[in-house]
Amino acid sequence: MTDGFWWLLLWGVLAGMDLVTVGQVMVGRPLVAGTVAGLLAGDAAAGAMVGMTLELFALDLLPMGGARYPDYGPAAVAGAATAAGVPGVLGLGPAIFVALAVGYLGEHGVQVVRRANSSDVRRNRAGLDAGDSGCIRRVHLRGMLRDAGRAVVLTLLGLALAAVVRRWLPLSLRGAVLVGTVAVGAALAVAATGALRLSGRGTARAWLAAGVLAGAVWVVTR
Amino acid sequence: MTRGMLAAWVRTLIVQASWNYDRMVGLGVAYAMEPLLRGLPGGRANDRYAAALKRVAGFFNAHPYLTGMAAGALARVEYDGVAEPQADRLRRALIGPLGSVGDQLIWAGWLPLSVAVGLIVAVVASVPAGVVSFLVLYNVVHLGLRSWGLAAGWRAGIGVAGELAGRMVHAGLRFGAAAAPFSVGVALPLVASWLLREFGGSERLGAAIVGMLGLLLARVLVPTLSGVRLGLLFLGTAVVAGWLWQ
Repeated sequence: MTDGFWWLLLWGVLAGMDLVTVGQVMVGRPLVAGTVAGLLAGDAAAGAMVGMTLELFALDLLPMGGARYPDYGPAAVAGAATAAGVPGVLGLGPAIFVALAVGYLGEHGVQVVRRANSSDVRRNRAGLDAGDSGCIRRVHLRGMLRDAGRAVVLTLLGLALAAVVRRWLPLSLRGAVLVGTVAVGAALAVAATGALRLSGRGTARAWLAAGVLAGAVWVVTR
Repeated sequence: MTRGMLAAWVRTLIVQASWNYDRMVGLGVAYAMEPLLRGLPGGRANDRYAAALKRVAGFFNAHPYLTGMAAGALARVEYDGVAEPQADRLRRALIGPLGSVGDQLIWAGWLPLSVAVGLIVAVVASVPAGVVSFLVLYNVVHLGLRSWGLAAGWRAGIGVAGELAGRMVHAGLRFGAAAAPFSVGVALPLVASWLLREFGGSERLGAAIVGMLGLLLARVLVPTLSGVRLGLLFLGTAVVAGWLWQ
């Protein structure tokens, strides 16, 4: 069992529920979820590395309306648990692979919860259409419980996958470096795609270009 | 009324708990505005109490941070005795603006801007400092917007559209449209150099090639490919290659 299992589970559930249901204060963003999970798993540096890399993936999508988006909170927790204690960058690639798989499962989990909420609403149509405040409260709070269940299952799956990958993924040193390199390259590609989408065309695209130039100058001169 | 406002504000924090494809966030807005309606003359026994909940618990959609504005305005019209058809027209009229303004202001503006600032601070100072700056910066506006929205909706009632078209909102939209892409642009090279600092020269070149290939794939060849799928495709291939490359 991973060090700090129960804390990681609790943190994963909080991060998962923050995605849509409770608060949306962004503790579920990978930068936050991954860094804190690294601390809980006893390897702050690994958690930070996983959080920063996954944050680039998360820049791909804006959570608008009923859009489908991966759940990167529990994903970052699973990623940090995978990378914790692995020296240098050798754990980064497998950790991002685990995290993306968990994020993808989370995306589907959100749809399952939303469909279950729809069924609940249909079953309680009479009470809702009568303006019954008790019925509204019960249906609403059941939705929150469903999402909590989703976050628990997703985090447990993530931690189990992390344990399996840590124990059995047969990667040599060269293989681990290769996967880590591809993880960073893919993250940058996804972030660049998201940035281009965010900026659209025209003035905003010019602001993006100016920002990239300023960032590149900063890197060279620091 | 202060107690009702506080209860409504707290409830807006879980406004999306019952989000569903039939009524979207309607149930959540009804749940959030319920404490405000308790102050109607006669309280829950007032005919307008159940009628308002019934109306709002139907289909409704808005940006979650601006649902308080809808809850405040829709509760206010009940106090002001606005005719029910007019109250329902207000409800329907709010759906579009509260969604699009919130999406542009927060999801396409303040969120990417705050994330980028957090990433820049993480690289320049430390990752924990980046996390704290992101959370503080983001939530000052997030929680402020929730509070302002509820208060403005309650104050303006039927005239809530005027609040939404105010100078502050316009300034926020203009600022976000420029500052978000600029800050994300600054963050990208910084984060790239930070992530690759422990890799050797050939790995850095490899990551650049993978990045270009990914960009080509996601922007030109398969524009519908989401980031998570692209990542799984690339990393799955790399894991197999790494496994074979013993």
